[in-house]
Amino acid sequence: MTPKRIIIDTDPGVDDALTFLLALASPEIQLEALTITQGNVTVERGTRNALAVLEFLGESHIPVAQGTSLPMVGPLLASGHVHGSSGLGNANLPEPTTKPASHHAIDYLIERFLAEPGEISLFAIGPLTNVALAIRKEPRLASAVKELVIMGGAIREGGNITPQAEFNIYADPHAAHVVFHSGIPITLIPLDVTHKCMLYTKDIQRLQKTNSPISRFIEDATAVYLEFTKEKTDIDGCALHDPLTLATVIAPELLTLEELYVDVDISSGPSMGSTFADFYGNTGKPVNIKVALDVRGKEFVELFLERMENLSNSALR
Amino acid sequence: MTKKRIIIDTDPGIDDSLAILLALASPEVQLEGLTVVHGNSSTEQGTINALSILELAGASDVPVAMGCELPLVQPSLLAPETHGNTGLGYANLPNPGSKPIVQNGCDFLIEQIMSNPGEITLVAVGPLTNIALALRQEPRIVQAVKEVFIMGGAIRHEGNTTPLAEFNTYVDPHAAHIVYHSGMPITLTPLDVTYQCILLADDVARIMQVGSDIPPFIEAATRFYMEFHDEYQGIQGCVINDPLTLALTFAPELCDYEEYYVDVDISGGVSMGKTFADFYKMTGKPANMKVALGVRPRDFIKLFVERMQVLSRRIS
Repeated sequence: MTPKRIIIDTDPGVDDALTFLLALASPEIQLEALTITQGNVTVERGTRNALAVLEFLGESHIPVAQGTSLPMVGPLLASGHVHGSSGLGNANLPEPTTKPASHHAIDYLIERFLAEPGEISLFAIGPLTNVALAIRKEPRLASAVKELVIMGGAIREGGNITPQAEFNIYADPHAAHVVFHSGIPITLIPLDVTHKCMLYTKDIQRLQKTNSPISRFIEDATAVYLEFTKEKTDIDGCALHDPLTLATVIAPELLTLEELYVDVDISSGPSMGSTFADFYGNTGKPVNIKVALDVRGKEFVELFLERMENLSNSALR
Repeated sequence: MTKKRIIIDTDPGIDDSLAILLALASPEVQLEGLTVVHGNSSTEQGTINALSILELAGASDVPVAMGCELPLVQPSLLAPETHGNTGLGYANLPNPGSKPIVQNGCDFLIEQIMSNPGEITLVAVGPLTNIALALRQEPRIVQAVKEVFIMGGAIRHEGNTTPLAEFNTYVDPHAAHIVYHSGMPITLTPLDVTYQCILLADDVARIMQVGSDIPPFIEAATRFYMEFHDEYQGIQGCVINDPLTLALTFAPELCDYEEYYVDVDISGGVSMGKTFADFYKMTGKPANMKVALGVRPRDFIKLFVERMQVLSRRIS
């Protein structure tokens, strides 16, 4: 089987880092590059984190391109309280010795996708600013991306940043609007499914049996995230939001997808950044997105743990 | 006298083409390039128009870079009823022999501004998509650009696209929002002043007294524009918005300015794209631009007509 070639647009971020780990632990996936946007942390911090995590994993050959420092239109929103001030919880990785690519992420995306139309899939697990601006700068990008998998939105589920809105979408709703209506084949992984994929403290303890730098990194990185969730919801676990996007490749059978017309509110009222699906065809508009509305969460978390155990046992003992 | 180095970001467009000609006719400015954006015409048609106008004026050495084809967020809105299907009214310029540069318009703006810090004056006479995208890709152009002159908005004046909104701002209100709040030094030329600057058939007749290819172009382009103004707005003559903005780069005394906090409504309601100034400091926010609110229209029209005559003589 040829592995699926992917580029991840990301705002690392604890669960972003876990996504890199899962991608690198998965033979079904070939991670070709990371492009960085603001979101969980500033773009500078996110770039540093991406380079540091890749170096930690011995994968510094994977290029990292730094992108936009601000959302398209709205003000900058950062979520340091969830991801810790560094963006990686309590993990303390050394300053990376490698540097980002000289290209801006917008141009990097344009160049990579147009060089090999239909060959590479894009996984967007932060605010969609880079992707939206790349589409506006080079409209042919829309037909060159094989497939776009987005972590974002909350369809029937409540929001996690406002009562209605999910963080990645709320952090740049205008960009989400551009991307949703771009014509790129999109699979959306909203809170409806990510909230069913909980990594519990006991799971993290299980990983420690491998006694490896990777398992310790996961423990340190998730510590702040776990505290935050516990304080907010009384749940002793954290959602694997971003890693779940990779289920579309490594375990698609776990996801229940429905094709729907999905839009995002950009009208600046209390629903700003809220995503909704037209379940009953009220808008008369054609479907634009495959939305994950259910997942066998425990099985995904088990798969995640097994892959982390394998990675710990093989790479960095 | 050192010439002011300018780049015009434009959607040609009848009054855009007159602004380009005015730049070429004016010894106070040096036209470093044109970046083309959607608006009055599609970006593709606008680029052809830009190249044709430069060729008409013997200025094909000025680089033309194609920018964005669509507004940042809103759907596309072009203005064939105002500018004709080609964007140049009844004018029929030959297809240009020259081509746009390969570089994207946003990248051209970034490169020119960043490699000449404090030197480049930007004259934005179309929707602000290119400039907004450039700002997001390279935030340091805020410090590196010398000044930005924008044709757009309607402060106390009514809109020309919706009852409240002016065309350039309405077409890409999100881009206007980005540019207004960027921190760049902005001078805004809203409809409040441009709608006082009406080019009359008599003025065009004076330009026509000079024999070259330029006056017949101006006559054919503005005849269509005048018919539009008559039919839709009951105005005799045509409003030459963009040339006024260009003229302010070297003849600031044509207008009176006030500094205000100016914002644009992007909330998607009936006021979408409406610009407003905080005259009474209700928002508590600091001024973010100079707004031209008074103009000496006949002085400007006289300057415009004379410069068109000079340019026509020069190329004849």
